[in-house]
Amino acid sequence: MTRTDPKKDVVIIGLGWTGSILGMELAQEGLDILALERGPDRETVPDFQYPKVIDELKYGIRLGFMQKPKNSTLTIRLTLDDVAQPYRRLGSFLPGDGVGGAGIHWNGQTWRPQEIELRLKSYVEETFGAATIPAGMTIQDWGVSYAEMEPFFDRFEYVAGIAGKAGNIKGEVQAGGNPFEAPRSRDYPMPPMKQGVDAQMFAKTAAALGLHPFPRPAANASQAYTNEYGMQLGPCNYCGFCERYGCANYSKSSPQTCILDALKRMPNFSYKVNSEVLKIELAEDGKTATGVTYFDEAAQEEVFQPADLVIVAAYALHNVHLMLLSGIGEPWDPVQQTGTTGKNYCYQMTGGTSLFFKDVEFNPFAAAGSNGISIDDYAISQIDFAKEGFIGGSYITAGISNGQPIRGISLPKGTSTWGAGWKQGIGDWYGHAMSIGSHGSNMAYRDCCLDLDPTYTDRHGRPLMRMTFNWKDNDIRMTQFMRAKIEPIAEAMQPDSWQSEYKAEGAQYDVRPYQTTHNVGGAIMGTDPKTSALNRYLQAWGQHNVFVMGASAFPQNIQYNPTGTVGALAYWAAEAIRKDYLPNPRPLV
Amino acid sequence: MPQFPFQSTRRSFLAGTAAGATLSILAFQARAQAAREVPLAEYKPEYLSVTEYAFVMAATARLIPSEGDGPGAIEARVPVFIDRQLAGDFGTAADLYMEGPFSPEADPNLGTQTALSPAEIYRQGIAAFDTWCDDTHGAPFADLDTGKQDAALTALSKDEVTLAPDLREFWSLLLQNTKEGYFSDPQYGGNAGMESWIYIGFPGARANYYDWVGRPEAYPLGPVDIAGERA
Amino acid sequence: MNKFLRYAVLAAAIVLVGFLAFLYVPVQRTPAQTAFADDYPVPDGAGAYTMRTADCAACHTAEDGQPFAGGRAIISPVGTIYSSNITPDLETGIGRYTLDGFRAALYDGVRPDGSHLYPAMPYENYRKLTERDVRALYGYFQNEVPPVKATRLPNDLSFPFNLSWGLRAWKWVALGDPGFTASSSDAELARGQYLVEGPGHCGACHSPRNAVMAQAALTGAEQAFLSGGQIAGWTAPPLRGADSAIQGWTADDIKLILSTARNAHSAINGEMQLVVRDSSQYMTDGDLTAIAAYLGSLNDAAATPAPAGQTDTEKLLISADPSMDLGPRLYLDNCAACHFSNGRGADEVFPELDGSSLVTAKSPTGLISMILHGGELPSTAERPERLRMPGFGDRLSDDEVATLATFLRQAWTNRADLVTTAAVADLREAAENK
Repeated sequence: MTRTDPKKDVVIIGLGWTGSILGMELAQEGLDILALERGPDRETVPDFQYPKVIDELKYGIRLGFMQKPKNSTLTIRLTLDDVAQPYRRLGSFLPGDGVGGAGIHWNGQTWRPQEIELRLKSYVEETFGAATIPAGMTIQDWGVSYAEMEPFFDRFEYVAGIAGKAGNIKGEVQAGGNPFEAPRSRDYPMPPMKQGVDAQMFAKTAAALGLHPFPRPAANASQAYTNEYGMQLGPCNYCGFCERYGCANYSKSSPQTCILDALKRMPNFSYKVNSEVLKIELAEDGKTATGVTYFDEAAQEEVFQPADLVIVAAYALHNVHLMLLSGIGEPWDPVQQTGTTGKNYCYQMTGGTSLFFKDVEFNPFAAAGSNGISIDDYAISQIDFAKEGFIGGSYITAGISNGQPIRGISLPKGTSTWGAGWKQGIGDWYGHAMSIGSHGSNMAYRDCCLDLDPTYTDRHGRPLMRMTFNWKDNDIRMTQFMRAKIEPIAEAMQPDSWQSEYKAEGAQYDVRPYQTTHNVGGAIMGTDPKTSALNRYLQAWGQHNVFVMGASAFPQNIQYNPTGTVGALAYWAAEAIRKDYLPNPRPLV
Repeated sequence: MPQFPFQSTRRSFLAGTAAGATLSILAFQARAQAAREVPLAEYKPEYLSVTEYAFVMAATARLIPSEGDGPGAIEARVPVFIDRQLAGDFGTAADLYMEGPFSPEADPNLGTQTALSPAEIYRQGIAAFDTWCDDTHGAPFADLDTGKQDAALTALSKDEVTLAPDLREFWSLLLQNTKEGYFSDPQYGGNAGMESWIYIGFPGARANYYDWVGRPEAYPLGPVDIAGERA
Repeated sequence: MNKFLRYAVLAAAIVLVGFLAFLYVPVQRTPAQTAFADDYPVPDGAGAYTMRTADCAACHTAEDGQPFAGGRAIISPVGTIYSSNITPDLETGIGRYTLDGFRAALYDGVRPDGSHLYPAMPYENYRKLTERDVRALYGYFQNEVPPVKATRLPNDLSFPFNLSWGLRAWKWVALGDPGFTASSSDAELARGQYLVEGPGHCGACHSPRNAVMAQAALTGAEQAFLSGGQIAGWTAPPLRGADSAIQGWTADDIKLILSTARNAHSAINGEMQLVVRDSSQYMTDGDLTAIAAYLGSLNDAAATPAPAGQTDTEKLLISADPSMDLGPRLYLDNCAACHFSNGRGADEVFPELDGSSLVTAKSPTGLISMILHGGELPSTAERPERLRMPGFGDRLSDDEVATLATFLRQAWTNRADLVTTAAVADLREAAENK
């Protein structure tokens, strides 16, 4: 059964950060908009309300706010020659679902990329020579410059209400901020958060070593805040239940706290939940989309929703899956190196050193998702790739984000994982450990990519998407470089003991332990339809009325958490749609 | 002041009074029930058989033993937690992708690939492990002395007990679920009296520490759970 | 004795005549207070705007009902009143009302057939409406509101409130002079006073009631006016005098709470939320400025108490001392997350509890209800977020609520009476029986 609903001007797939931003921007144009969200509706009260959201088992461990693999997943293999297996239970990454998307359960670390990251290939070639780029590495420029993007980073940071300290305002270095950041037009909208004991200790030691500590930019409010839509945040109370949880306190920037109640007042905007888009439908000539087909769970039927403009605003992986299923762009062929859709899937290279202090009380439960101190002295712009033998960089950071005991109590090497030794260990060391982490870039490679799986299907009978991904020497060298920088800082802090965990040569991707939900690429933006799926305005090269938001547009991963860039790109694309596309719908490039 | 007789009770601003009333009854029932929990040995499992429950009692008692500081798994009522989890959505793999074909012998890095649900892994895993204990140590696990139990669990943890590929996760599930029962909110049956939280100094579901961020001294106040019990 | 009897008979006769007059003498209808041409054109938009200032929707539109079709139940201790259909439907609405008939409803509480409106309709205050506003409302309800056929539900009232003569007698005592007289020559203050005394009918809740349940004062010149009242068991806080809820507020604070239901000090709760939702958020900046100026003039700006330093309460909460009493412990376990150890919340998001009129109100009903059931701020154009406090009735026993409420009423600089467990139990039971 397929029902056809009356046509809309715009259909938005997914109602997370980017769907909400595009919804608001296009609703202000007076367009008739429908957003389709595959998951349930979610509001601070009752969905995140105190105390029921403060439930580690339900949300931190059983992942109550994440997509259920039963409803949506993918298959994964490490090399092109392997048989991919389904990602049956969530582990390495945790895509969200429901209204607000991943915007409800992130920690809130909100960065801008380095200036050179948006033109990485050109930068490497100009500075170190094309030969620096190893065979099989497929990095590209983004097709948009940092200078062009700056107003949109600023816009997103002021909508989301980010707490931080500028390090570079219009070229002037600011004391206490990140001196290595790209220039910004003004300071953050809110002052930095309070810092925990661990972050204070790290800052002190790093400064003594001649490094440049600064507070992590946080989407956790440091004071009451009202944004341009009149939406409000209350000050964070350091509850220690941030990542994986919706915020009980209206303190974490999310579509719910920053956009949705304002958007819901717009009479020309509506949304439907439990409505998973199955396919973007194309006109006979394939040059435009005619709308989307979705499954309406309430009615238990498929619905064709015609629309003039289709905004793809699901999670990065789902954006690519929908494009593959809908024939948007030619699928990437990693052998022939043709096509674009599914190309340059990237992840994030992380590592860390744990430090144990018998006599220091960290009170790890008194924590926020993004308070903490970072240094950017080893940022991607600060490294001589030719000398070090890798392309990449990382920020280094300390900041305990929670003290939830099931998710893990850091114990010194040699402590048993069970039995009397473990029990003694948790009593001795809970609240006496901290860590210094590296959060680094991940380059793009020919054979790290996304396509459709030949075997497994989802509940709608569609092929699952297949991820091919493994760690590469270049990025392992990068993380080992960071290890060599972090360990001396750790030693200088004089802990009772410390231990490191970084990927070493031969490391294989393991989908079981949580790493990060920074899955990027697959629908990358760029300047050439032969090498990118989207143009610089996130518009599909082949279907001008399809715009694809999200981190799927990153040509390779930056050294930072992606949300700041995702938000800025959404405002950038929205501006192009409002000012340039709507008056004259056409390919913008 | 006289009561104004023309008052309106247009309570649209009251968030769900009726729902609140229902909830309050449930919550108080839950709190009352906690007070009259049956002794662990008399607990009637929802999912586990008598033999399986005896195994879980014996195994968790070694994974988090009673001796030493802090409660053991038995004092924390971890076996009740595990039984309830196996009887619920976790046990039935309700959230997992369970479409075939299944390749349980695939590269472990690709994650669980068995067709068995966690509850089935426990059932088959306990049976297989008990057989191994019988063959190796002369009795099912629950009947061994604690020294032999520790040796058997050590073998299991080191993958020295030959189990079918479908049961590859038996050890990690058992250990993970034991720690979950030790530390999760008491509403799930474990962490009795919040003793596990008290032991490590975790304040539970209080979730506001604005005044304590960056203070280099131990936070003194005991925990509160989701139902509002204090310890 | 004879003399006394004679007087008694005479008195009885007078009462009887008066009573018969109440029963049989036709009711008087107050005429227009200003002469307007018959063909006076209501300016565009004036009708809808005046409707907002008089908040007609709050009572005459039921939840999820057709606009102004009535049917909203207004429950009182003497029975249930259903608001009437004021759409221009000829049969069931007010489509057949003449201008004079309409004015009489507003001024005198009288229907065209001579029957009396129950004083849930605030004609004590609407008597002050200018002819300009009467015309605007008449034009609006005759021409701009779509007619809806909806028969008024019969009120379910007990004796003697179900009798016409009782209402007539009540009006004889309760109603003041028709028309509005400004106390100030300042145009802004006069406008503010008019909106507050007249269409805004603020006194209906914020002024006390006298022995016959009439508003104890109807004009700002009288000290009783806006000196605090009750609504639905909640205290409608005093807006003047020593306990004024708005003492120390700036004009902007007053404007912001009327336009957004929130400001740096407080959040609107209880019945007042409906006022913001349906009325004050739609007022022009000029009118809000006028109201703020007028309310400000009733308060002594110099009376603002100096902010206390760190109170003993705050020190105790910050210490997280395990030996603290149950009251502060419950506060840390349930309230401090948003309202913080200093009880000052956060500007426009989490209301202050120190000095809060809800917390220290004479009647603890509002405070108890808030703890049990929570509350939600209405979405407004300037502040669209429906900030919502969850209820804690499912986490706290009656004893705990009483202990917590008592703590709040005596914490920081608050000094109010304790709250009993019985009071909590009654309110919980009332909610569960709904």
